[in-house]
Formats: sequence, structure tokens, C-alpha cells
Amino acid sequence: MEGILTLVIFSPLIGVLVLLLPGVRSDVAIRRTALGCTLLTLAITVMCVVAFYQGPPEGEPSGPYRLTTHMAWIGGGSSAESVDIDIGYRVGVDGISIWLVALTSLLTPLAIWSSFTSVQKRCREYYALLLLLQVALLGVFCATDLLLFYVFFEFTLVPLYLLIGVWGGSERRRAANKFFIYTIAGSVLTFAGIVYLAYFAYSVRGRLSLDFVFLKQLGQSGAIPFEVQWWLFVAFAAGFAIKVPLFPFHTWLPLAHTEAPTAGSVMLAGVLLKLGTYGFCRLSIPMLPDAARHLAPVVAVIAIIGIIYTALAAWVQKDIKKLVAYSSVSHLGFCMLGLFSLKVVGVGGGVLYMINHGLSTGALFLLIGFLYQRYHTRSIDEISGLARRMPWLAFFFVFFTLSSIGLPGLNGFVGEFLVLIGAATSASTNDGIAAGPLGYGYVIPAATGIILSAVYMLWMCQRVLFGPLNEPRDTPDTSAGLTHDLTRSEIGMLVPLAACCVFIGVYPKPLLTTFEVAIRTNILTSTVSIADAQPIRQGEHDAVSLPGSASVQLAAARVFGTGLNDSELLNRSDDAPRSIIQNTVASVGCREGIHGTTCIQGTVASATCRERIHGTACVGHREGVHGTACVERRKRVDGTASSGGVGR
Amino acid sequence: MSIETLKLCGIIILLAPLAAAVVAGALGTRVLKSQTHWVTILGVGSAFTCSCLVFNQVVGAPAGESMATIPIYDWIPNATASMFRVELLIDPLTSLMLLVVTGVALLVVIYSRDYMRDHGQPERGYERFFAFLALFVFSMCALVLGGNFILLYLGWEAVGLCSYLLIGFYYDRPTAAAAAKKAFLVNRVGDFGFGLGILLIYLTFGSLEYTAVFDMVSRGVDAAGNTVPSSTITTIALLLLCGACGKSAQLPLHVWLPDAMEGPSPVSALIHAATMVTAGIYMIARCGAIFSASATAMTVVAVIGAVTALFAATIALVQTDMKRILAYSTISQLGYMVLGAGVYAADSAVFHLFTHAFFKALLFLGAGSVMHAMGGIIDLRQFGGLRRVLPWTFRTFVIGSLALAGFPLFSGFFSKDEIIHHALTASPVLGVMALVTAALTAFYTFRMVFLAFWGRERIPEGVHAHESGGWMLAPLMILSVGAVFAGYLGVHAVGGGFHEFLAPVFEHTFAAHRHVTHVAGVEPTLWDEYGLMVVSGAIAILAIALAYVLYVPQRWFPALVKASAVRTHRTLWNKYYVDELYDAGLVSPARRAGRVCVGLDDYLIDGLVWLATAIPRGLGYSARVLQSGFLQGYGVSMVAGIAIIMMFVFWS
Repeated sequence: MEGILTLVIFSPLIGVLVLLLPGVRSDVAIRRTALGCTLLTLAITVMCVVAFYQGPPEGEPSGPYRLTTHMAWIGGGSSAESVDIDIGYRVGVDGISIWLVALTSLLTPLAIWSSFTSVQKRCREYYALLLLLQVALLGVFCATDLLLFYVFFEFTLVPLYLLIGVWGGSERRRAANKFFIYTIAGSVLTFAGIVYLAYFAYSVRGRLSLDFVFLKQLGQSGAIPFEVQWWLFVAFAAGFAIKVPLFPFHTWLPLAHTEAPTAGSVMLAGVLLKLGTYGFCRLSIPMLPDAARHLAPVVAVIAIIGIIYTALAAWVQKDIKKLVAYSSVSHLGFCMLGLFSLKVVGVGGGVLYMINHGLSTGALFLLIGFLYQRYHTRSIDEISGLARRMPWLAFFFVFFTLSSIGLPGLNGFVGEFLVLIGAATSASTNDGIAAGPLGYGYVIPAATGIILSAVYMLWMCQRVLFGPLNEPRDTPDTSAGLTHDLTRSEIGMLVPLAACCVFIGVYPKPLLTTFEVAIRTNILTSTVSIADAQPIRQGEHDAVSLPGSASVQLAAARVFGTGLNDSELLNRSDDAPRSIIQNTVASVGCREGIHGTTCIQGTVASATCRERIHGTACVGHREGVHGTACVERRKRVDGTASSGGVGR
Repeated sequence: MSIETLKLCGIIILLAPLAAAVVAGALGTRVLKSQTHWVTILGVGSAFTCSCLVFNQVVGAPAGESMATIPIYDWIPNATASMFRVELLIDPLTSLMLLVVTGVALLVVIYSRDYMRDHGQPERGYERFFAFLALFVFSMCALVLGGNFILLYLGWEAVGLCSYLLIGFYYDRPTAAAAAKKAFLVNRVGDFGFGLGILLIYLTFGSLEYTAVFDMVSRGVDAAGNTVPSSTITTIALLLLCGACGKSAQLPLHVWLPDAMEGPSPVSALIHAATMVTAGIYMIARCGAIFSASATAMTVVAVIGAVTALFAATIALVQTDMKRILAYSTISQLGYMVLGAGVYAADSAVFHLFTHAFFKALLFLGAGSVMHAMGGIIDLRQFGGLRRVLPWTFRTFVIGSLALAGFPLFSGFFSKDEIIHHALTASPVLGVMALVTAALTAFYTFRMVFLAFWGRERIPEGVHAHESGGWMLAPLMILSVGAVFAGYLGVHAVGGGFHEFLAPVFEHTFAAHRHVTHVAGVEPTLWDEYGLMVVSGAIAILAIALAYVLYVPQRWFPALVKASAVRTHRTLWNKYYVDELYDAGLVSPARRAGRVCVGLDDYLIDGLVWLATAIPRGLGYSARVLQSGFLQGYGVSMVAGIAIIMMFVFWS
């Protein structure tokens, strides 16, 4: 499996190269090449997902990222130089990014397929750009080196800029310019932040590295003073907030969406917006934990304002596409709320929300594209009663609307529910993560967004799909034979998305378990957790307290699966040395986080993974993990604490 | 009880209708066409059979073992908090609800076979109708079978979806599309509170499983053993009540139900009378531990119920659309049930739910039969004297009306009387409101009956009126048997054991808090037992008699009243202007706010963005002067530059 991720990232380039061959001349050949190439990428991605899901082969150490490849780029070779430079081509995936890679690989072929009938001019360039866009997007999600991340992050702009600017609607140039300048203005600041972070890391650790794992350890060890974190957070946020987009930096999005070709909109809403939330989740939260914790209420309030504000704005739109574009802003506000609950549940919900939004909004943009092709208008006032003429279109429209407004049983609900739970329980420490700053008070205004999303989406459905049939007068384009219902291939594009929506709604477990592992390993700071191997009767709780000065915030992982409860927080003092907290992972049902390389000092375990931990896991405490009494455990934790250099 | 049997039955109850929905939806338009109803009959029929089996198991269970939680699979794994499972809870309440839901659904599906055909030809969307109906049965069963709050919420939203789809069945009718949307949105407002309530439960107790949560609530502690403040319980109860108000159409969220009559009549009978709208009552009964732990919340529940009952009954007095009268009557009867739960008599509320399912489904199907015969016209002003034209519809309709009116010895009489009795015991004001509502109910019901079936025979022009066929009449007859006799299940004197059957569900919740009705040791007097029955029976008979006098021999009198109290009549006719109030108070301001937001986006925010870009642009413009392209200019500046550099070099 060595190098499989590199293959995934760059496999679309094969398509680009083939497209450049002089032999590929006819539009049909170009389309087939592009589609075939993305299908190839999809196939490799599926292999990746399977390989990821199977876990590492026996005996192979598993770090926080999997399927990794590392090649030295700048420095890192012979360390003869005085400066230890280590900036490399590092790729790898964890339980979060693997699904975003999968989402990208799923949406791109659909976007390309949907362009078969709608794009007639400059096919070669068009498909080449879409493939390049895919390379960049896959690269962002796979990169585990900050510089590589940034290169891909910025590179996404170029293909999309051209896609909007050349193949867009009547105001395409203005939209493309606004999109480009807006986003690049923000990401330049992000770059400044990255440079400073690298410099800072070098000045503290004497190592110029942009490895995610290294930077996360640096951030969580408390080596970065709060003021620095604060400024870095703001610098990162400048780029990411525009990309999300967070209110009030969202005004480029409705314009870009309305002008973009269908495939551009699908990629923009489906994947590109997630770069912002992914950035927050991958960089800001783990690397700048104190600033993230401190600024979380601010971000949450902005997100909530955005949820309501853009929902109201969506309601009065006349253009269907603009309405859905505004709804995207509103939905991503939810996603941000989940991420900044800083809880495993909430972050998991936020990540799931990214994927759900990609599926349902991507599908809605496809549908709007089909509609536009038929009527050359997207005005709510001009079309109505389409359900009579196009039952399939109506079916899918209602289906994805319901998915988007969070109907239980479909995907949207699970994400929404977890986000709200995360925000509500932010202050609890049951999951072994330090308390987040949000609370129930944030949930109430956010939940009004759920009402509003139903209001504007159903309002649109009522106007467009139901009521007496009303079609624009001079169109439909009867010559193209498009006044009829969705064609087979159009239905074929929507079915995979619908299937994913149902699957995630009914059985989200496969995704959520991997999210949890990744969040605990790569995103959130765990407080030291110890196993509660002793069965505790329901309702009771086990107050374990640590003697000595090395008082550490401990949270016993909850024992579950047997219906047993519960957990307890131990005495905590603010002078708890950070180094003990560093690198510890609460591993509930996880394999990756357990491995000795990750859990250096403190440690971890929980009843569910007893068997797995036993024997393979945390260095030095094999027995401690396995159901032993409190006293023994305490001893061991103390022991590690002191051996970890903290001492008492 | 055998858990294996229950599990199997539970899964069949859920999957059979779901499979029917999928098959009807997928194959309906191509293969099955006019035979699609068989799929749904089969699916719902199997669900009904299994419900009977479950009921049988529960009845036969030894005392204290009539409840079982059956896990199916893990839905949302959440290692840190608690696992959200798909699990079923089977107890007497669930088994009873299943019986009502699948039983009425089966009859309605049979009825729809003919109803949804227009003169032998299936209506457009015939297949869709049966697919949605089956989907509804699945959702409703999931709602009552679910063993935790998430499944409750899932079923809750899913029945709302089916209601949306079925109200909007005639989607090219703008009123139907608007009504469907309104129903969904008003319910969403209720669900907003409901969802927040569920979150607060999770936040407080760390679990969403019924058994765990109710256990903690009854002990007044959370998972860690800390005491839960009663204000939290009250808040949870009130938030849950929000959801009940939405789904069960209680004030102030009742506005969607009358409009929901835009859907086909079988839908009104099944969803908007017998089953879905009772989900709120089911939920209150299910969460008895939470509600009964908060006296404040119970007072609110009781007051909302009583006020809604009275409020809706007054509106029903003047409406002329048969289905709308029945809709307001449904709101009013649901008000009774909520009132019953609010005065700690949840078993009586469920009893009324049970009898109401029979007679209200009967009335709606009867109204549907009338509508079918009248070619889609349902306005009482346009027809009358149908007694002879529709003999069987007439007979069954009168039976249903007698039950609704609380005519002595019909089912509604017993169940309603119990609620009034408990209300009177709890508070004279609530009791009197309930009694007044009973009088109004009898009056408006028979106003409708007399206007529709008595008097001169009037049939809208061009309509070929005919009695419905066997597919439609059979369900009417079966339901009318229930409308007459279902009440006796709750009467001890004839051996009815309804309350004893439900007792295990409520014994630690509502029943434990109920006001003591008579002092132990003192035998209740004859008046205590039967006095109220006599009074309410007399009220019903008098009100029916009054309706007869006013609407059969003395037809001029209502017109006189209407003319002399124009303003009151107009207020009632316009349903107290609640819709207008919401429109002016909520919808329009929100739309205006939306426009303001768009304006802010386009002008303020984009203006600021423009300003931000103006700074570099301005710098660029000012620098442009220097790049004029005149060679002399460049020469001068070059010389000046060199001069400055030279000065630096030499001075320093």
C-alpha cells in the first residue's frame, strides 16, 4: 500500500496528460477520457478506504496518520547543515481525511458526467481543469505537511477561477475575480501565519519542520505562548473563514455559485468550502489549542449569526441557485459550531456535516443544473408545478431537500444532532477531553436555524415543484429534447448520492468510529485518561484521585457496551504540567491511538479496547490497563508521570 | 413474554410496511398500477397481525413483566457519551398503540382502494398514495415502538414527512401545496422545542434511553448521583410539550390541522384524526415520569388541553366544510386527551385516544364517502338531505356522531366522561370548561349531521350521487362497531379491563401523583360513581335536541343569530384570526428581515469589501501618474534618484 495515496492524488493528472495528446480530438473522446480517469481515481480511492478500514497490517506501527508517504523536499536529507530543516512531501490520511478524499473522488466523476451535455465549448481545457481541481483538492486532504497543504490549498483557486471565468454565466468575469481576490487576500494572511509558526517552532525546538504531528505536539505542549497563538489563530482564520465562508465574509459565495457552471458549483459547494472547515479542524484547533478554546465562543457566535442571517437571506432569494448557495453558508455555520464545541461528539458531528453537506448540496446543485439546462432560467417566479411534468426530478429534489433540512433517517440529521449535542455538552468532560467553552445557551439560537432551513427549502419546493404547471414561455428548448423528465444518466448521477445519504442516515457507525479515533489522536487535546477496567455499577461513579503534586486532570474513559457507567474527573490544578498531558490519547475503540509511539507518557485505555491494548499498546503499562484495582493503577500512572519527566 | 417472538414481531411490524412502501413506490407505476393497493394491504396486514401477536404476548405476560426493551443494532456509536441504539420498547402502551395504528391503517387502506378511484379508474398518483400510506404506517410504528428519544424523534419527524407528502398529495392544487408546507413548518416549530427538550434530557442525564432516563427522573438524580433541580425537569417537560402542541395541534400550534384537510379523506382519517395527531398524547403518556414530576408542567398541560378543547369547539360551531368541522373537533378532542394527561389521568387520556380513533376515523371516512358521492364537494351549504341517497353512509355516520357527541352508552361517552370526572376533581374551572366543551361538541356534531342528512334533498348540479361500494362501506361498518362498543372495554361493570391493562405503565408516574378521589375506607356514593355520567349524558342529549330544533324545523333561527351577532360570527368564521396574527407577527417580519439581510450583503458588506480594495487601488492610481510613458519624466526621476543616492553616499 506504499504510495497509494500519492497515486490517488496524482491519478487525475494521467487524464490531463491524455487530454493533451493530439490524438484525443473529438469531444466524445475527451469526455470519456476525463470520466474514465476520475473513475479510475474513484477505484483507487475505494481501495484506499478499504485498506484504511482494515487497519494496519500485523506488526506494523501505526502512527496518527495512515498510508503515509514521506519524501524529503527541503532539508531532511543529510543533516550536515547546522539547521535542522524538515519540510517534506508528507501525505497520509486519518479517519477524517479519508472520508473527505472519498467525497472528492465521488463528486468529481459526477460533476464531469453532468457536464457532458451542458458544456460544449473548449471541452479539452474544461475537463483538464476539472481534473486539476481534483488533484488539488485531494492533495489538501492528504497533505500532512503544512507547506504542502498550503500549496494544494492555494492551487485549488486556479482551476476554479478559470472554470467560473470562462464557462460561467453572464457575469462570470466579475464573479471569478471577486472569488479569486477575496479568497487569496485571506489566504495570504494564512501563509504569513504558517511562516511565523514555522519560525516559532524553529526558535523553540531548533527544528524547522512543518510536519502536522510535530506542530500538533508543539501546540499542545504549551510551548507557544497564548498571545502568539492568538495572532496565529487570527491569521489562519483569515484564510479559512473566507473559504468556509463565515459571516460576514460570505458575499463572494452566492455570486460565485450563480455564475459558476454546474460542475463548478458542485465542486465548490461539495468540496471546496470544506477546505475552510477542514483547515480549522486540522490546523487551528490542534495546533493552537489555547487560542481555539479562548476564541471558540467568538467563532460560535459568528457562526450562529451566520446561520440565522443567511437563512433569512436565503428565504427571499428569487434565484434557486442563489438560495441554495445561501443555504450552504447557513449549513456551514452549523459545521463550525460543531467543530468549536471542542468535544469529540461535536467535532465528529461537524466533520460528518461536511460530508453530508457535500452530498446533499452537491446533489441539489446537480438538480438545479438539470433544471437550468431545460428552461434556461433559475427564477422561482418563472417556474412552478414541475412535479407534474418531471416526477423524477421532483422526487430527487424533495429527497435531497429533506436530507438537507435534517430529516431523521437521512444523513443530515445525524450530523445536525451530533453538532447540537456537542455544543450542548461542551462543558462536560465525560469524553476525557478538557471542557469546551460552549453550552446549552448556544444551542437554542442555533436550533432556530433548523426551523429556518425547513422554511426556505420547503418554500422553494412548494413554488417550483408544486402548484399548477408553469413553464417559461420561449424555452423549453424542444430541439434538445429536454423538456421531459430526468434522463437515465441524470438519474444515474443522483442515485449514488442518494444511496450515500440513506446509508449515512441509517448506519453512520463506520464513519463515526473512524472520526472518533482521528479526533482523539489528531484534533483534540486529551487529558490523561486511565482505564476504568473495573466494572462500575450503573449510577455509581468512581472517584479516583491522584496523590502527589503531579496532579493531572484525569478522566476515566467510560465503560460502555456493557451498559456500565461512568467516569470521573479527578482533582485538577492549573499548574498541571503540560508535558504529561501531551501525547496522551484516550482510546476508546481505537487502534491507532493506542500504539506505544503515540502514548508516550500518560496513558490510556478503556474497557472496550482492553483486549487490543493488552499486549500491543502503551509502553510500560500492559498490566495496568488490564482490569486491575485502583491502587495499582494509581501507582502506575504515578510511575509514568515521573518517568515522563514530571515527577512529584 | 418471549423476547425472540417480540423481536421478530417488532421487526416485521416495521419492515413489512416499509417494504410495501418501497415496492409500491418502485414498481407501482410500471408493474402494479391499479393493483398497487394489494401491496400495501399485505404490508399493513402483516403489521396488524404481528401487532395482535404482540398484544397477545403483553396481555398474557405475568404481572410486572409486561415491559421489554429489545436492542436491534447500534445506530450512532458514541464511545464517550452513550450509545444510540435502534431498540424497541414493548409494553402495554406500545402494544395498544400498535393495535390502533395498524388496525385503523388497515381499514383505511381497504377503504382507499375505492376512494382513490374515480369511477373505476385509479386516480393519478394512485401508486404514490399507497406507497406514502405504507411509509406512514412504518413511521408511526417506529414512533411508538422506539425505545429511546432518538427513535421517538425519528418517528416523529418521519410521520411529519408523510403527513407533508399526503397533505400535498394533490400537489398541483396551490392550496394543497401551501397546506402541506404549513403543516411541516408549524410542526418544525414544535419540534424545535421538542429537540431542545431531548438535548436537555441528554445534557442532564447523559442518556436518551427511556428506561434509564425515567429511572433517574423518578429518583430525582442524574447519572452521577447529583440531585436534578426541579426547574430543569419543568423546563424539559415544557420543551417536550412544545413538540406535543405541534404534533397534536394544541394551542398555539393548532393552525396546521384544519388546512391539512386538503389531503385525501382517508389520509385525514388515518393521519389527522386517528393516529399521527395522537403522537403528542402518546409522548406525554410515555414521558409520564418527566411530566408528573413537575406540578407546574402538569398545570400547563392541563390548561392548554382545556383551553384548546373549548377554543376549537367554538370555531367548529360555525364552519360549513364538513371536513373542517371534523378537524376542529379533532383538535378539541385532542385537547380533552391533553387535559386528561394534565390532570394525572393518562390512562383515561389513552382510553379516549383509543375510542376516538374509532369514531373519528369513522366520521372522516364517512365524510369522505359523502365527498365521493358529491363529486368532491364537501361544503354543507351545497347539499343536504342525503339520508336516502347514502343510506349506509348515513347510518354509520350517525353512529360515529353519537359517539363523538358523548351520547350515553356510546364509546365516546365513557372515555370523555372519565376525563371530565378527573378534570372536575382536579379543578372546578377545568371541569366546567370540559363540560361546556362537551355540550358544544354534541351541538356542532349534530348541526353537521342534520344539515347534511336531514331536510330537503339537495345535490349539487351535475353530480351523480351514489352510495359507495363495498370496499368503502366495509371499513365504515367495522369502525362503527368499534365506535359503539370500544367504550365498554373501560367499564368495570361489564368486565372491561382497559385501565388495569395500562396500569403497569402509569403506576409509578401519573397514578402515583393523582389526587385521591375518595378517602380510603369510605365507599364511594352512587353520586360519585354515576352522578357525572348522568349530567354529561343529559348535556349531550339536550345539545343534540337543540341542534335538531334549530337545524331541522326552525331553520331560520341560526340565520337570525348569525345576523344579530355578526362580529362574533365573523371572528369564529375566521378562526379567531390566528393565521392572520402569525402572518403579521412572524412571517412578514421574518421576510422583511431576510430582505434587510440581502440588502446588508449587497450594500454594507460588499461596500466595505469595496472600500478595502479601494485602498490598494487608490495607491495604484496615484502611482500611475508616475508611469506616464513620457521619456523625459523617467529621465528626470532617474537623475533625481541618482542625485539622492549620491548625497547619501557622500554625506555618510
